[in-house]
Amino acid sequence: MSTTPSPAGTPAPAALVDPVTERAHALLAARLPGVVVAQELAGRHPWIRVTAAGLRDALRLLRDDPTTQLECCHLISGVDWPARKPGETAELEVVYHLVSYALPYDAAYKARRGPQAKNDPWVAIKVRVPREAPEVPSVMDLFTGADWHERETYDLLGVRFTGRGFVPRILLPEDWPGYPLRKDWETPTDYHGIPIVPPEGL
Amino acid sequence: MSEPTRPTIPAARAPSLVSGGEPHHASVTPVGGVAEVHEQQPLVGQDLRTEELVFNMGPQHPATHGVLRVVIKSDGEFVQGLQPHIGNLHRCCEKIGESVPYYQWIPYVDRMDYLAAMCNEHIACMAVEKAAGIEVPERAEYCRVIVAEVQRILSHLFAMGVYGLDLGAFTPFLHQFREREKGLDLLDHISGGRLLYHYVRIGGVKRDFTQEWLDELEAFLAAVEQRLPEYNTLLLSNHIFQQRTAGVGVIDRSACVRWGVTGPALRAAGVDFDVRRDAPYGVYDRFEFAVPHGHSGIAGVVGDCFQRHWVRTQEVEQSLRIVRQALKQMPQGPVMGKVPKSLKPVAGEVYVRGENPRGELAVYMVTQGEDKAWRARCRGPSFSNIAVITETAKGTLLADLVAAIGSLDIVLGEVDR
Amino acid sequence: MATLDGPAEGLDPELQQSIILTKVDWVKDWGRRNALWPMAFGLACCAMEMMATAATKYDLDRFGAGVFRASPRQSDLMIVAGTVTHKMAPRVKRLYDQMPDPKYVIAMGACVVGGGPYVKHGYHVVQGVDLVVPVDVYLPGCPPRPEALIDAIRKLQLRILQRGGATLPARRQATVA
Repeated sequence: MSTTPSPAGTPAPAALVDPVTERAHALLAARLPGVVVAQELAGRHPWIRVTAAGLRDALRLLRDDPTTQLECCHLISGVDWPARKPGETAELEVVYHLVSYALPYDAAYKARRGPQAKNDPWVAIKVRVPREAPEVPSVMDLFTGADWHERETYDLLGVRFTGRGFVPRILLPEDWPGYPLRKDWETPTDYHGIPIVPPEGL
Repeated sequence: MSEPTRPTIPAARAPSLVSGGEPHHASVTPVGGVAEVHEQQPLVGQDLRTEELVFNMGPQHPATHGVLRVVIKSDGEFVQGLQPHIGNLHRCCEKIGESVPYYQWIPYVDRMDYLAAMCNEHIACMAVEKAAGIEVPERAEYCRVIVAEVQRILSHLFAMGVYGLDLGAFTPFLHQFREREKGLDLLDHISGGRLLYHYVRIGGVKRDFTQEWLDELEAFLAAVEQRLPEYNTLLLSNHIFQQRTAGVGVIDRSACVRWGVTGPALRAAGVDFDVRRDAPYGVYDRFEFAVPHGHSGIAGVVGDCFQRHWVRTQEVEQSLRIVRQALKQMPQGPVMGKVPKSLKPVAGEVYVRGENPRGELAVYMVTQGEDKAWRARCRGPSFSNIAVITETAKGTLLADLVAAIGSLDIVLGEVDR
Repeated sequence: MATLDGPAEGLDPELQQSIILTKVDWVKDWGRRNALWPMAFGLACCAMEMMATAATKYDLDRFGAGVFRASPRQSDLMIVAGTVTHKMAPRVKRLYDQMPDPKYVIAMGACVVGGGPYVKHGYHVVQGVDLVVPVDVYLPGCPPRPEALIDAIRKLQLRILQRGGATLPARRQATVA
């Protein structure tokens, strides 16, 4: 914790571009044109947004290319973005965090300390799909561990992963109503006769 | 240690030969003369016709480490396929992260991996601090490292003891509780709780160490160091333990990386990676410690149950080293940084990962300028660790499945969150 | 040495010291309370404290309740230690039904006493295991200390002594499918 702290909440200066995300972005832009929709390469959480159609090719490339070797799908998260202003569409976002255990870590990472820098080599790939048709191609055959993460994202947020057959729920019971982590989900009053309503006074 | 030999399975019990209706050629003892054998073979085949059995292991089971339900399709004792069913302990941690303010969410994070509560809190507080740009004082960082490593020692001791219990050895379980009670009392004196603490807070830690507590800590470290060879002798050098774990439940590097297995299981597969050393957080880059990983010099096969257990025993020693270094280096100063009364980080996101005793715990937090998170996604390492047995436990014996699940050291709180 | 139904008049003093006059029910309850066989039913964090109670420092065995059985068919005490979720609730009920009579339930931990920390925002948590099975002793704490669990078992033993060892009838309707 030796660098000067920036004021609370301000984004990092542009100089702190993350080299791993930059390398991944360059690779995707060069080999898969049109797949990258947006990116943020600096700050504490750099990300690359791709199209849903190009997701599988992008992840396969990042996994197999020797300069990135992002062979482990560390986490798949779903985020609900309801429409807040009149012109927006409600969307669901799926974020893939990829990690490499093969590449050695360069000293530049360890030298860059500070709370606003990203000093841990992972790459975040995002996909946004409309809430009415939340279909994202499955990457279960590219990363076997994505199976359970996708099941959980479906279970809690209702994102439908295509290309993998029937997606069973994983955490909640099979007949649970709705997708709890959506912002407009209402808690049911009971489940098979057991009440869920919290007692009064809380 | 010498290479243990696994008993070879006689051909008669191998699964490929025992299936419906086929005459059994290999080891049928002839009754009477050769002619009788030929006459009797179809009958013998009929008697030996078997079916696959689908049955349940759990959710209430002494060896599933919690409410894990595994549906097993087996051919006698051989597991043909299995599917873990989780969710029996889903306690809505992520929804609660969206419903209550940050400082109220931290105690819920404790309860994810309830055997490594300090480590969980550390990662979650780091995520909030990174999102809000809060600086943690140096002494607080050292305090966090010390309690996290003490927690790692306690967690590994528990894992080692309970693994013995899974395999049928009751003594290591009782022995490890001896040191574990000392450690739990230690953490109780500093935080007020034996198992779930809420000691690591956003911005620092709750209380500073007193000299009395530091003396108690030294006594605890000395006690663990003295007893560690005893625990190792009880299990690692035990001939029966070696036979039950060496070569069993092999999860190789490829399976680990594809399934996202992290922690001691990944290291036992030969991958020399530890978040504390290779992507350090807090003040972990100031300590010197070794990262034990599986190799062919020790008993067993790289990636098997024995080496996972061995990695844990070595990690306890390394944690002792880290705590001693931290005690020497710790500066004086405050233990709580400046945290605004109403904590509202600007819109943004963070992804923080740390090395828990069971693997890499990660928190992906999306903030939107409110006092609660917009999305608080937690990655429990046991979630991926238990998924891998779907692939690697096929074809093993049922007892070996129990050994494999035990060696992965899962905690259902962080599987289900 | 106790004679509950009055002094044994006319008995030889030597015989008085070696004969106990009592009721059969009292003897049965004495056996039931001093040899409770808990079922190993740890669900979550409280299970760790239950194991600590059974271990060397707190030693539940000296109260007679140290024989943890894996099967509900062989146990008479179910210490529900941990959080009961909606997915798990039918299994809790089924395990309770599988236990032979007389059976007792200790609800250990805030989660099973009334929902605990998950009562307000935990949609998947059953707010108290007494919605599923009848509970004899409620033990709050998060998690309760091993001494508290020992106290709960002692209270159960006291209840068996004072009010008999029969299974508690369901007070709240057990509404699990």
